[in-house]
Amino acid sequence: MRKVLILSLAAILSLALAASAGQYPARQIAITVPAAPGGASDMTTRIFTSQMEKLLGVPFIVTNRPGASCSIGMEYVKNRAPDGYNLCYIPVESVMIRALGLTDLSSDDFDFFARAMTIPAALTVRKEAPWNTLDEFLAYAKANPGAVKTGNSGTGSIWHIAASAIEEATGIKLTHVPFEGGAPAVAALMGGNIDAVTVSPSEVQAGVDSGAFKVLAVLGEKRSGVVPDVKTALELGYDIKVLGWGAFAAPKGTPPEILSILEKAAAAAIDSDEVKKFFKERGFDHAYLDAAAMSAFAKAQLAFYDEAIPKLGIASK
Amino acid sequence: MSEWLTGFWNVMDPGVLLFLGIGVLGGMVIGALPGLTATMGVAILTPLTFWFEPTRGFAMLIGVWNSAIFAGGITAILINTPGTPASIASTFDGYALYKQGKGGLALGINVIYSAFGGIFGTLVLIFFSFPLARFTIGFGATEYFGLAFFGLTMMAAVSSDSVLKGMIAGFAGILFSTIGIDPMLAMKRFTLGSVNLIDGVQFLPVMIGMFGVGEVLNQIFEHDRLAESAENARRHVNLALGRVLPNLAEIHSASRLTTISAMVGAVVGAIPAAGGDIASIICWGQARKWSKHPEEYGKGSLEGLAVSTVANNSVLGGALTTMLTLGIPGDAATAVLIGSLMMYGMQPGPKMFTEAKPFVINIMLLMLLANLAFLAIGLVTAKASAKVLAVNPRTVWVSVCLLCVVGSFALNNNSFDVGIMFASGILGFVFRRTGYAPGPFILGLLLGRMLEANLRRALVISQGSYLIFLTRPISCILLVLTVLTLLWPLAKALLFRSAGTKTGS
Repeated sequence: MRKVLILSLAAILSLALAASAGQYPARQIAITVPAAPGGASDMTTRIFTSQMEKLLGVPFIVTNRPGASCSIGMEYVKNRAPDGYNLCYIPVESVMIRALGLTDLSSDDFDFFARAMTIPAALTVRKEAPWNTLDEFLAYAKANPGAVKTGNSGTGSIWHIAASAIEEATGIKLTHVPFEGGAPAVAALMGGNIDAVTVSPSEVQAGVDSGAFKVLAVLGEKRSGVVPDVKTALELGYDIKVLGWGAFAAPKGTPPEILSILEKAAAAAIDSDEVKKFFKERGFDHAYLDAAAMSAFAKAQLAFYDEAIPKLGIASK
Repeated sequence: MSEWLTGFWNVMDPGVLLFLGIGVLGGMVIGALPGLTATMGVAILTPLTFWFEPTRGFAMLIGVWNSAIFAGGITAILINTPGTPASIASTFDGYALYKQGKGGLALGINVIYSAFGGIFGTLVLIFFSFPLARFTIGFGATEYFGLAFFGLTMMAAVSSDSVLKGMIAGFAGILFSTIGIDPMLAMKRFTLGSVNLIDGVQFLPVMIGMFGVGEVLNQIFEHDRLAESAENARRHVNLALGRVLPNLAEIHSASRLTTISAMVGAVVGAIPAAGGDIASIICWGQARKWSKHPEEYGKGSLEGLAVSTVANNSVLGGALTTMLTLGIPGDAATAVLIGSLMMYGMQPGPKMFTEAKPFVINIMLLMLLANLAFLAIGLVTAKASAKVLAVNPRTVWVSVCLLCVVGSFALNNNSFDVGIMFASGILGFVFRRTGYAPGPFILGLLLGRMLEANLRRALVISQGSYLIFLTRPISCILLVLTVLTLLWPLAKALLFRSAGTKTGS
């Protein structure tokens, strides 16, 4: 009896889906932010969905499900129906948490339809530090292994990997000091307890503006809008690129015709003045990628972190 | 100065004033109902404020906190039971005054001196927190380790009933704080394979459960139908309340001791873990020694009541000073407020004074406004406030449980947190039945992670040398204070044994 019931329900559902596929979206769309309200991910999603509502003509319901390096929220969306009505904000953590041993989930469990922005790491020191360029910093660190205490936003966090990527590419040795987030690390740099931080430009912006800090290099694809005069490590001749990013995706198996509707709308939404203005204010770099480019980017990132994280000597499967 | 003007206009926003007013009224009800504490009020209302703009949300929490502490005195005066633990000393003289037919005067003194203490504490906050924050900005891992260590030893000093039980609860809290990802090596500890435990046991659901459901369970367990009807009959013998406002001579005679008491309250508040109950008992005891009329104390002394109500409200400003400048809680309610601020995306600590300075100023102004609001509302409703006590306890229990479930889910939209909340409620009930205090447990849970992470971070910075804790002056001073705190009970026992006397409470 129950089987019949489930079968007939499934039949009705698939009929309903088939009927509505032509006119997606037919009802409100739920989008999950796997981070707390008020943060970068949350605000990006909210400003993005306010544009998407105008373009698609249906309401977007934003729900925050924070915790466990975004695993909890992404896990939730992964287990929803891939019908185009359950979307997710996907941060850089999606390519890291599997290698960190937190969960089996990865970016492979999602179909991306857009990348919105990137946030590069920025090697920042105090104004009175003896190094004025990346080369001087590296020369000192090479001569004094382990002497430079570098703060990051937590062991296994993206900014920890940024510092370790510098070590990997240049052969220097730093002492990594993990903090609970970027802000306490910046506070410790301000208080003189550590010598450098590798966090985002917007997190050190206040110190740079007040003249307390100087940024030696940005580890992004291109220069950061926050410190436009600072060269990237790539420009300086070092192949170091570590950056946070934010993308939008649906659970794996979402029909391609729905994804292409979302992709088209997201392209326009991310290109809107409102979103661009918000990114500029917050110090994020507007870095749109379409669905195909984003999927390739996620694959490359997943491979990069699968290799980089075990080298930190912390992975705990 | 212009920042203060902007702040003033911010808090003068009608929405902010409305939520502050709702908070003050809600706080009066919560404070006056025996068993509903200020901490519980702030804990169960915190999740509801996330739908508001931060200043409005915090206005409501500040209103609840300030007025619940004052309203606890109403219950202390009228039925000889402290409405919140902070007003324990108000029962000594308050109830005696009520029996003498001076209940109105006692209620008036409670309102006026609570507001005086609250405003005094807020002024301490305003004048001391900015220099203190400039000083603590240089604090690093060693200093924060020292602070957490000092804070945790205070739990031994303040759990006066049973030091052993206090320590056990505190260490249980530290043990629970180790659940989740290791702060230095990012290894999973005690997560039982659950993704939900990777970040550790969430602090706010634990607070909501311990102080909400835990207290309700305890009240249901202790509930005695006969005692309740006897109590109601007693309350119906409506004693005359008399005049509400004290005259100038009464205010003048109490002015010296109440001012001292306000200062002591603010200092006690600033000490981690020591809250309003301790401050008011200390102040009442000392005032009796220094008073010109010590014989009246405990038999209806206006001065004694004034001193204790001043102390428990000036604690708030002191506790907030510690919380905002150092990021460690001055008492249980500020522990919840730390969680609320973090939910708003702000990290309490010296950096808040540079990065979120406008919000810090808003908090200070809201504290002042909350005191003025309950002063006005309290004086107007002084005679009517006794009505709150007639609320059926069953209604209260059901509403508290409902708010606990809704609130703990709303924090992260995660039903796992609701489970944590219920488990903590049962734990809180067991604690209360067996004589363990929830306070040290909460302190251990909150400070345990800070203790561990900063100890290990300091050792990374010093490359393994423990000397760093002694060579840095502030951490050295904190460690010396810690040792003194630990030795104090021993020294006290020796001193009093040799003197052969015993102090009365």
